[in-house]
Amino acid sequence: MIRIGAPGIRSTIQDAGRSAGLRSGIPPAGPADPQAFATACGLVGLPPDAAAIEVVGLPFSFRCDDLRLIAVTGREVRVRSRIPLPSWTAVVVRPGEEVVIEGGVVTRYVYVAISGGIDLPWVLGSRATYLPSGIGPWPAALAAGDALPLGEARVPTERAGMRRAAPDHGAPVRAVPGPHTHRFTEEAVEALFAGPFTVAAESDRMGLRIQGRRIGSTGGELLTCGITAGAIQVPSGGDPIVLLADHQTTGGYPIIATVLSADLGLVAQRAPGEVLQLVRVTGDAG
Amino acid sequence: MTDPDDRDGPGAVSIRPFGDRAFLVELEQRRDPGLVSRSRALADAWEARGLGPAIPAYASVVLQFDPGRIRYADARRAAHELLHAVAVPPDAAAGPITVVPVRYDGPDIAETAERSDLTVDGLIAIHGATTYSAWFLGFMPGFAYLGPLDPRIRAPRRPSPRSRVPAGAVAVADGQTAIYPAESPGGWQLIGSTDVRPFDPASDPPARIRAGDRVRFVRA
Repeated sequence: MIRIGAPGIRSTIQDAGRSAGLRSGIPPAGPADPQAFATACGLVGLPPDAAAIEVVGLPFSFRCDDLRLIAVTGREVRVRSRIPLPSWTAVVVRPGEEVVIEGGVVTRYVYVAISGGIDLPWVLGSRATYLPSGIGPWPAALAAGDALPLGEARVPTERAGMRRAAPDHGAPVRAVPGPHTHRFTEEAVEALFAGPFTVAAESDRMGLRIQGRRIGSTGGELLTCGITAGAIQVPSGGDPIVLLADHQTTGGYPIIATVLSADLGLVAQRAPGEVLQLVRVTGDAG
Repeated sequence: MTDPDDRDGPGAVSIRPFGDRAFLVELEQRRDPGLVSRSRALADAWEARGLGPAIPAYASVVLQFDPGRIRYADARRAAHELLHAVAVPPDAAAGPITVVPVRYDGPDIAETAERSDLTVDGLIAIHGATTYSAWFLGFMPGFAYLGPLDPRIRAPRRPSPRSRVPAGAVAVADGQTAIYPAESPGGWQLIGSTDVRPFDPASDPPARIRAGDRVRFVRA
């Protein structure tokens, strides 16, 4: 078992996401920052379909009943037990040892992966949590005192000390023009990539709002169509929104460009007030 | 544009780039039961080939793929092949029927009737006279776009969406009708309410009305 002490604000169980409900209108969910999530899971030897914890709101603390390898990833994240522990690194924690995670003002999504993984049943093919509709095997934000089952207790100690570099969280973000480029003038598309944009405060797991030069679309009503994460929607007269894990499965706003899947984490982790610079690439550039 | 759309086949079908792991196939820009069926058939065929999930809508389908398993260029080729291989399905209005009892007590029913030059009773009779087809689901979990709405009911979207529409609200807009599965913001005209909840996360499948199903509304 893993036992939650300080729960954060909206911490949830996530895995790589759920595709089985897309045609029922169920958002894919999964980690807001897929790269940091995959790095944490990889460090402790978990397979690609494993479940781990996405922490929102710090501090977050927990204990495990038995010896485990853990990894914590995120932006400007600090980890300690009785002594400071490195982040972005696989570390061994002893039975009952309390682990505390803290961060700074720009910290947004933090991932805690534990060897063995969070062992919950699959719901619609996934363990990801979609909080607004209560979907997933643990369909609520984590609370103090929650105890979650862990998978096989074998600790791959040969991985202890392995580390991965954190990305440059201020780096430019690559995006492919489209699919609705025909709904925008060439000037509008150029304005998007000329940037820069500033991240607005009202950004969450559904999407990141960015403010900058006004971008207007052309043409009449756009029929609702399916959506994928990374889509940059331009509401009429509104600020562009880069859609993230909890995005609606369909939408009726024109999409001027789509962020490369490998750069979604850079979008999710950008803090309000920070700058987001988009760089134009083609779809086969990933 | 530097990234021109691929046009393929009769009409104006296009395959547009949608990031590095999806394409958007656009058939046309109109709501039409035949296009809805074709969009769904394309989504079914893409998924049946094991290439990834697909999301159909009125006249388009998003084809997703995993670039770790199939290269971008190969996925694009597969999307082109799909357009040629998938025949227009026969009218598939044969799904199970869900009967939905409605209290026609929505805050927009009088205004909608007036705009349509109908009495409220006349609007209710027309709304209940059609067996609707669930075209596709989207917007929120379990939200089925039901159509076609009788054109005598004129219902544009509200210019400014409500911030809160209650669960079970029965609404009309743009030639369609729907049931809000849960409380949410919404811009459709509210004409009634029902105790039917089209989405239950504890059920399998959680969406009670699925694409291709049929729905009838009866006055409660």
